[in-house]
Amino acid sequence: MKKNRRMIQLVIFLGVLLLGGYAIGHSIFAAKDGQLPRKGSKPPEFALLGTDGKTHRLSDYKGKALVINFWGTYCPGCVTETPDLVAQYKKHNGEPLEIVGINLGEDSMAVNNFVKQYDINYTILRNEANDVQRKYGLRSYPTTFFVKPDGTIMDVFVGAMAEKDMDERITKLLKS
Amino acid sequence: MSLLDFSSDAFIVAFFLYCFGFMFYGITALGRKWSDRSPEEHVRRWGRIAYFVSLLGFAAHLTFFFTRWAGGGHIPTSNMYEFMTFLAMAIMFAFIIVNAIYRKPLLGLFTLPLVVIIVAFAAVFPQEVQPLIPALQSIWLKVHVTTAATGEAFFAVGFAAGLMYLLRTVDFKQTSEKAKREQRWVEFTLYVIIIIIAFISSVFAFRGAGYEASFTQENVTIDEKGIENSTTETVEYSLPPIFKPYNSQVVAMDTFLGMKEPLFETPHWMKGVNAARKLNTITWSIINGSILYALIRLALRKRVGAAIHPLLGDIDADDIDEISYRAIAIGYPVFMLGALIFAMIWAYIAWSRFWGWDPKEVWALITWLYYTAYLHFRLSRGWHGAKSAWLAVIGFVVVMFTLIGVNLVLVGLHSYAGV
Amino acid sequence: MLAFENTKCECGHQNPVGTVLCESCGYPLEIGEQENDAPLEMRYDGIARRSQKSNPNVIDRVWNFFSSVKVAIRLIIITLLAAMIGTIFTQENAFISFDPSTYYEERYGWIGKWYYKLGFSNTYESWWFILLLVMIGTSLVICSLDRVLPLYRALNKQQIRKHSQFLTRQKTVYTGPIEGAEEAWTSSIGAQLKRKHYRVHQDGSALLAEKYRFSRWGPYINHIGLIVFLLAVLLRSLPGWAMDNYVTVAEGSTVQIPDTKYYIKNEKFTIDYYTDAELPKELKGTSRAKLYETRAVLYTCSADCDDPSKQPQLTEVNRHNIVVNDPLSYKGLKAYQFGFDDTPKLKAVNPVLIDHKTGKTYGPFNLVMKDPQLTYNLGPYTLELKQTYMDFALDAEGKPTTKSREPNAPAFVFVIKGPDLAADGEPYMYFPKQNDKVRFSQDMINGELAKRFEIKVPSMTGVEFAPVETSLNIRTDRAMPYIWFGAAISMIGLIMGSYWQHRRIWLRIDDGEVTLGAHTNKNNYGMRAEVASALRGIGVVVEPKLLDNGRNKS
Repeated sequence: MKKNRRMIQLVIFLGVLLLGGYAIGHSIFAAKDGQLPRKGSKPPEFALLGTDGKTHRLSDYKGKALVINFWGTYCPGCVTETPDLVAQYKKHNGEPLEIVGINLGEDSMAVNNFVKQYDINYTILRNEANDVQRKYGLRSYPTTFFVKPDGTIMDVFVGAMAEKDMDERITKLLKS
Repeated sequence: MSLLDFSSDAFIVAFFLYCFGFMFYGITALGRKWSDRSPEEHVRRWGRIAYFVSLLGFAAHLTFFFTRWAGGGHIPTSNMYEFMTFLAMAIMFAFIIVNAIYRKPLLGLFTLPLVVIIVAFAAVFPQEVQPLIPALQSIWLKVHVTTAATGEAFFAVGFAAGLMYLLRTVDFKQTSEKAKREQRWVEFTLYVIIIIIAFISSVFAFRGAGYEASFTQENVTIDEKGIENSTTETVEYSLPPIFKPYNSQVVAMDTFLGMKEPLFETPHWMKGVNAARKLNTITWSIINGSILYALIRLALRKRVGAAIHPLLGDIDADDIDEISYRAIAIGYPVFMLGALIFAMIWAYIAWSRFWGWDPKEVWALITWLYYTAYLHFRLSRGWHGAKSAWLAVIGFVVVMFTLIGVNLVLVGLHSYAGV
Repeated sequence: MLAFENTKCECGHQNPVGTVLCESCGYPLEIGEQENDAPLEMRYDGIARRSQKSNPNVIDRVWNFFSSVKVAIRLIIITLLAAMIGTIFTQENAFISFDPSTYYEERYGWIGKWYYKLGFSNTYESWWFILLLVMIGTSLVICSLDRVLPLYRALNKQQIRKHSQFLTRQKTVYTGPIEGAEEAWTSSIGAQLKRKHYRVHQDGSALLAEKYRFSRWGPYINHIGLIVFLLAVLLRSLPGWAMDNYVTVAEGSTVQIPDTKYYIKNEKFTIDYYTDAELPKELKGTSRAKLYETRAVLYTCSADCDDPSKQPQLTEVNRHNIVVNDPLSYKGLKAYQFGFDDTPKLKAVNPVLIDHKTGKTYGPFNLVMKDPQLTYNLGPYTLELKQTYMDFALDAEGKPTTKSREPNAPAFVFVIKGPDLAADGEPYMYFPKQNDKVRFSQDMINGELAKRFEIKVPSMTGVEFAPVETSLNIRTDRAMPYIWFGAAISMIGLIMGSYWQHRRIWLRIDDGEVTLGAHTNKNNYGMRAEVASALRGIGVVVEPKLLDNGRNKS
């Protein structure tokens, strides 16, 4: 009887600790809607059509250092950082680095003209439905994700990057 | 004569019958010592007359309700006017139920004025039948609003009985510190009620006199890009402006007692929709309420509570205590069903989530938590008598804030129920 | 506090520590209580709560903390106050995109700043609010468990013959001489009570009549329901249990519902407003919505779902006219009417090319805003589209740019080729909207060429607008059945406990004198009436009011 009672007490406390702990932990750590994926987490999957007419998936880039850059021709910050991205990609030619620019829902002519104008040498993906940016919790443009070869996010940069910002991060990315 | 005209006539008839019912309850209480009959005989006789007149009022009120339903095409619980009239009707219903159980005529002396005040308050709001917006086109408008209001009506009866208990038990002759404190709070409660009466009377007095004043207010906002946007709005007053809107110009203003200009300007931090007009109305209510209170005090030559106290002399305090508790205990499940469970079901159907922490929802939860605490205090902690009565009185303040305050002060999804 | 030592009653029964009234005969055990004659405290029938022990350890102490109703009430009040504070300013979750760290301060000043700093701007999702709810849940479990089991035992094995002090200290009491044999008298009142639906137990001249005992379990059933409800709410936070998405669908188009294999089509969107005839005179002339309706079709994708280079193959699974208060529902997925956007957006124009030199007009040609055709052949001339700007503006360096992808101020750069023109063509900039044309001085930009050519829309019929968009809220909520189940249980318990009252009547006859005591957990008024009516049934007339044991009056 006595023993039984102690058992019930312990079971209840354990239940409370587990469930309560989960509830409180969830309220502290759960990613809220409209929040950027955190450093160390895995970026959301995507499958998008590139300007090359092929389908590109996030999983295709596994094992390589990856820079995901969200951009639009209408965003001045995106325009200013584009030549630096081009230069970086050229500089690290032959190294396991990929740069992917995801366009924010513009039509093919705007994108193609822009690619031609800036001689963009890295992969440009189009996202007419604009769902990927929502998945990534974007609030402003440009936003750039630096993904390590193991598939986790090393860093997120919101806003236009100076050449130094980009260089530092890509160097670090390639070392990881 | 259209159904809707008939309906508004029935409403006016109901109002006056309630007033008469209140008067007769007053005679029931006052006349005990004056009449030549024995006090018991007098109370029984006049209590019955008062109850009968109140029932007639309720019948007229039901007529109003159903003819408006038929004439308007939907249940009249869709805006503030309709809701408040329904609440008054539900309070009458709750009163009839509680009275059937306990048969205490003098409960009417407290319930009927409450009904009269709420009916009059309802008439402050626009009265036309408004066709339903899509969000309200649901069977749950009938189910949720009526059950929630019925639960609240029982809380109102609990409040009336609680106040009655306090007026019966607080001894106005004693001078101990505790007694004085209780006297002050009872008196303050009555003062607040008088302010509410003054608010309603002021609105009707100036509306009757056709008073109008209007202002244009300039609002300057700075948007994200740092660009200044200014908009001008017209603010209409129906009470003479003691406070004019912040940063506003008089467009037109009737004079009142030689007052040709607004006296003060509302401070800039009172933004909100019509904040200035609300401040002005509150100021008027407090001024007029205080004048009214002072006049009553002068006429009675003692505190209002002290004047009412002897009328209740021979009522069993324990019985009123139980009536107050019982009304709340009856209302609590109805309230939970209507204001929380049915509300969650409707919210799930209309807004896709059963709970969204909208201010109205939160306040319904607060009301529920409050009465939950009340019941636990009473059942498990043994809070009876004065403590319980005070809780019932404060509880009704919480209920009224949930019903009216949230719409006037806070913003949220229940905005269509606003003014 | 309680006297823990003296738990053996004078009737010989050994009671657990903390017992208030002897479990067997009802004699008060607390020190000083025996000499008193005020009505007994009948809460939980005077039983000892499970947790009351003489030497508690840590676990017992925590258990005792949560088993106290005083603590439960405090938790309720703290939650209530926190909930109140959360309604002062609009919560963060009510906004779609804004920066809370500056919003509250800008809007409400220093109060807003502190409101945000103290975490009240997100009260209901904050860890401390959840902690309060968890504590209330714990208190619900422990309080109930601590009381319901002993109460069940006490009510299950009730002694019929109670101590006479237990009877005379009930709230409803009758004492008086009887006529005739004791047992016969007891039996006859027993028969009266049976008629009033009491279950009557007789032990010689002593009697126990009881009804509606089930109402005592009401509060506990209510608490179980609340716990189920809270657990169901917790279930919703498990991955995959609740989804909340918004999709915007233009009339006629089909979009994928994010993170699902479903696609939804908006066949037609309707907004109706009340006509003036339907409105009361105060509202005439205002636009009051009558209906928002999306005729929706739901598809699942059977193949090519994840490959943007191919069209997904769709199979229709459901169709429904979604209106507010009537969502589409399919296998737990629900689509709610949430909003719409009917601001006119340019979709296409059908302009003509006018050659002022010859006075000839060519066209019209169809120029769409999204993915336009790249070349247009108009008589002897060819227009090649080189660049588009959907929301034309000049940047800091004076170069043309677009502010957004919405066609707010579209601009097109063509190269016109043909007779009398340079071999590789001459550029011409075209603003379809008349006010943009003036605002950005199209003719100045085009210079000499503007004198010769003009591209313009001849009439309003040449302008096409994008269809109205509906926005739908897509939800799945697998925990809902459990939530309703918890709410229903809770409601049933509440009704059981509120609208029935547990009533018990004990009586014993000692030396020709009957002592009757009656107890109810609420409505003593009704209890007295019932006892008086039963007594009247056997010829004893008493006013119900006189049965009131008024000794508690101070």
